[in-house]
Amino acid sequence: MASSLVISTTTTTITSIATEILNRQLSDGQNLPPPPLSQTWQVILNTFIHHFLKFLNLLNKIPGGPVVLRYIKSSYQNDPIRSLFEYCLFIFALTYFFTSKKKENKSEIVKFSSKEIDELCNEWEPEPLVKEVINLQEWQLKSIPEIVGQNQFNLKKIIINNNTYNDEKQSIKNFASQDFLNLNENQRIKDAAEVEIKYAGVGACGPPNFYGTQDVHVRVEEDLAEFLDSEQAIIYGQDYVTAGSVIPAFLKRGDLCVVDRNVNNAVQKALIVSRADIEWFDHNDMDHLNQILTQLKPVLDKQKPIKRRFIVTEGLFANSGDIVNLPKIVELKNKFKYRLFLDESLSIGTLGITGKGVAEHFNIPRAEISITIGSMANSFASSGGFCVGVSSMVHHQRISSNAYVFSASLPPYSAKVTSQAIKVIKENIDSRTGQSKLMTTLHKITNYTYQTLSRSSNTNLNCYFDIVSSPQSPMIHLQLKETYREKLNLPLLYGNSSFITTGKPSQYPNKFDEYFNLECFLLQKVIDLILTKSNILLTRSKIILEHEDLPVLPPHLLINLSASVTKSDIDMLVESLDAVVYSIFKNIQAENDLINLTNEILNY
Amino acid sequence: MPEVFTRTIPNAPEDDRPLEIISDHEYGKLTSDEYLYTSKHPVGEPFLKPEEGEPTYIIYLATYLNFLLLIIIGHIRDFFGKIFKPKEYEDLIEIDGYAPWYDGFESFYVRRLKMRIDDCFARPIHGAPGRFIKCFNRKRDGKYGYLYDGTSRECLNLSSYNYLGFAQSSGTCTDFALDCLKYGTSACASRLHLGTDLHKKCERVIADFVGKEDAIIVSQGYGTNANFFMSIADSKTLIISDELNHASIRFGIRLSGAIVKVFKHNDMKSLEKLIRDQIAQGQPKTHRPWKKIIIAVEGLYSMEGNMCDLPELIRIKDKYKCYLFVDEAHSIGALGPNGKGICDYFQVDPNDVDVLMGTLTKSFGATGGYIAGSQELIDKLRLDYITQGYSESVPPPVLGQMISSLSVINGDLNPGEGKERLQRIAFNSRYLRLGLKRLGFIVYGADDSPVIPLLIYLPGKMPGLSRSLYDLGIAIVVVSYPATPLLSARARLCLSSAITKEDLDDLLIKLSDVGDQFFLKYNSKKLPIEQVLSTLVEDCKKTNLDF
Repeated sequence: MASSLVISTTTTTITSIATEILNRQLSDGQNLPPPPLSQTWQVILNTFIHHFLKFLNLLNKIPGGPVVLRYIKSSYQNDPIRSLFEYCLFIFALTYFFTSKKKENKSEIVKFSSKEIDELCNEWEPEPLVKEVINLQEWQLKSIPEIVGQNQFNLKKIIINNNTYNDEKQSIKNFASQDFLNLNENQRIKDAAEVEIKYAGVGACGPPNFYGTQDVHVRVEEDLAEFLDSEQAIIYGQDYVTAGSVIPAFLKRGDLCVVDRNVNNAVQKALIVSRADIEWFDHNDMDHLNQILTQLKPVLDKQKPIKRRFIVTEGLFANSGDIVNLPKIVELKNKFKYRLFLDESLSIGTLGITGKGVAEHFNIPRAEISITIGSMANSFASSGGFCVGVSSMVHHQRISSNAYVFSASLPPYSAKVTSQAIKVIKENIDSRTGQSKLMTTLHKITNYTYQTLSRSSNTNLNCYFDIVSSPQSPMIHLQLKETYREKLNLPLLYGNSSFITTGKPSQYPNKFDEYFNLECFLLQKVIDLILTKSNILLTRSKIILEHEDLPVLPPHLLINLSASVTKSDIDMLVESLDAVVYSIFKNIQAENDLINLTNEILNY
Repeated sequence: MPEVFTRTIPNAPEDDRPLEIISDHEYGKLTSDEYLYTSKHPVGEPFLKPEEGEPTYIIYLATYLNFLLLIIIGHIRDFFGKIFKPKEYEDLIEIDGYAPWYDGFESFYVRRLKMRIDDCFARPIHGAPGRFIKCFNRKRDGKYGYLYDGTSRECLNLSSYNYLGFAQSSGTCTDFALDCLKYGTSACASRLHLGTDLHKKCERVIADFVGKEDAIIVSQGYGTNANFFMSIADSKTLIISDELNHASIRFGIRLSGAIVKVFKHNDMKSLEKLIRDQIAQGQPKTHRPWKKIIIAVEGLYSMEGNMCDLPELIRIKDKYKCYLFVDEAHSIGALGPNGKGICDYFQVDPNDVDVLMGTLTKSFGATGGYIAGSQELIDKLRLDYITQGYSESVPPPVLGQMISSLSVINGDLNPGEGKERLQRIAFNSRYLRLGLKRLGFIVYGADDSPVIPLLIYLPGKMPGLSRSLYDLGIAIVVVSYPATPLLSARARLCLSSAITKEDLDDLLIKLSDVGDQFFLKYNSKKLPIEQVLSTLVEDCKKTNLDF
């Protein structure tokens, strides 16, 4: 072969030069001056070339080698610099291709021998999987009420802290359930469920996109869309996951949302997952919102292409029971061109003359709210969550919303129950006022309860508690009066504020807070005493402090109303609450009294 | 009579067949005692990676070309569509100062690839998804819409997660669930606010069933994982997760803020190396030791039909003092001689696994998930697990279904029925898997797995297979990227105890025809259908399902 011949002749010449130099050095070491540096360099270069050519000769023997060889020869053209440059490029490409894509910061990695790793592994002692429930917290476990029988307004038997409460003569009035319209006891709802279970069984046995969508699922989506005056609806298997799945489907990195500081836990977690930029406005403070939107405007005007912008808030706030100032928000969002995300989990089925939520309450068309989410597990006596809005928005969720795609459908009977519940709410509408009878009942009793609670004759109640919820909310939030809390040296807020101040949630869950625990216990004492004395079951806000990313309001005593509550129930409730509050709070007038409760907590 | 088409889904057609036939179509009667098998892994033997056939390189090349062509056509259509049909692209452009709902680039795959075969997904059904599933007949109308003629077709159901056949509209479990309606239709409060005696009973039944001290129930399987990890992990915790873990686990880990490292699917060597390195290196930057290391795996991977190597995982976890989380969403009920999931299958003590998570959607015809563990863990979770505080608790009829179906499997209710269900799913799984292998199809997964992924590779063949099987009265699920790797589009067959051996014979015959038609028998070794069926019953009971 011609090419190999050329190479071998050059090789011999190189070798001869090298031997000549070496021979010269060996033979006459003392007399001759040391060879010039250029000569040594030549030796090195020559040996390198020698080996390189040998390697090139090898190329001849592998298939495809001659092609490579021919390329090298034609590219060489007596220009070694150019060839060298090409080789470097080639080697760079190879290394780039073979190094792993996920490059870890090599400088951070400490090298260990396998013996050292063994030792480190033996040394390492992990923490337990979970920290034990400390004895100061055990009372919380014990205080979870267990109903024997159905969760309904009139309870027969209930177990709290291993004490059984059942009065033969009188039922226990349940103000702890979130069945605001009392549909859980409705026989027609139960009948609808029975028919569907007898037709399709209990579970749906598949995700909606793979044979998990049944006729009743489509029907309930149609019913919800119609009920809420919107184009389309989509249902989810659980209420809590709805926000966490809808928000990340539309808010991505770089998008912006302006959020109320008091949103519920589900929305907080959804925002964390979405990784969108967040600005916070003070709870329901429209001036502050306006201020923030105005400040942001100059920056956003330059944005090209524009990113999605949302205002995120709740209809009826789960944490405080007040109602969003929707008219003002709608005005602002239209002015600054934001979309509105509204969590109506508690307000749909409780507010508005036909139960259509906060939009109906303020007489604002649903179309102003871009995304509405809600729960079917409260007023509708069913389960799951839903989202309504324009078709393209809903359609996008069917393929890119995690909890819809990766989870089994809602049980078909739950879908049927929701459809039936909507039917029950919509019937008996007063032709004159347009009010639903069921909703009117709830609103009347809510109104009466607020009036009765704020009567000046409830001296003790007024002395220790403030009503913080809006007077339309059937979930009544009673918070200890600020002056009283100051006396007990209780902090204004619990938890941490790093999410608001730094824009990033705290890296660690909140620690156990002794004062929070004591304040909760104080309310539990009220709950226990009123249950023993007057057969009334109340509840309190059960915030999981560890997993709240926003500052936490003080715990509230909750009175959940429902359509079957009568005025005499309320009279009795307020009267005995006033007495109970007095008998508990008269002894607790200073921080020390509060701390002394610790003993009681330990023996609960 | 001219057919009347509607754009909305019609009401379910009246079914006036006698109850006996309806229940037989939901749960087929066992035709012979021969068609039973008990599946379990021989103790002490290593868990080998199942042998999976490989197609020729031409198939891979064709798959790439297939995708390339689809992508090019999609872009061409996008380009011209935006010019000539701007109305169809309204969703993708800014309107009146509002950004589009979603990005055109992000949604390209869905708009241009998935949309073409949209009719293979989300077929609406009615009735219980048991042995047969009733799908509404429809034809496409425009981009998103369908036209329904009011009729439905009964298809053999290989699509629903109904491993033990509990999707029934009559029978012991349904009666029990109906009875629980006396507790109402909804729980109407979170578990932390209120519970009922039924909740307590259900938690006890589940804990006893899986062999743990206590359990906690959640109303949705996805929600169980998605909100669980923040209760056990924070930013100083390392979670080592299998690369093919379900989206809910990944979501949950992301929410917890823990550092996550991923290991190659089921590769125990790389897992061990990763753990050793991580213990030695400690946390990033600070090099402080990790607070704890949690290994998160699934018992049975629903897209691969593959199980985790539990004995090896337990050895590793014990050696390196890690914690083990096993998601039994698909394996509970479907595996093991007693239906108690992956621990039962490998004859491992459930207490060797720190957290057992599972759902009752798949095997037990209910819905919702559970977490089972030691008393300390569950006590802590009762106070610390956000779904307990903020989300609805499980509704009573679902609790009824959970309690009754678990009791059937346990043998407490209708003794004998549970055992039969377990042995039928085990037999059906092995029977169909071996049959498909011998016909020349490439299937993934372990021998005893009730999920059988049948490889299609070329995305262009997916709609063909799905539509022709639907026309033959067989409902299957086809999946492709992004649910699977780009190259391995597949059909997923989920077996059920409700299906009879005769159904499977019929299925094999039809699949064999369709497989020839679409050139799906990629394996070089294949047998004709008659020969396959003649010895299948005996052969599928042999220890190793070799060709």
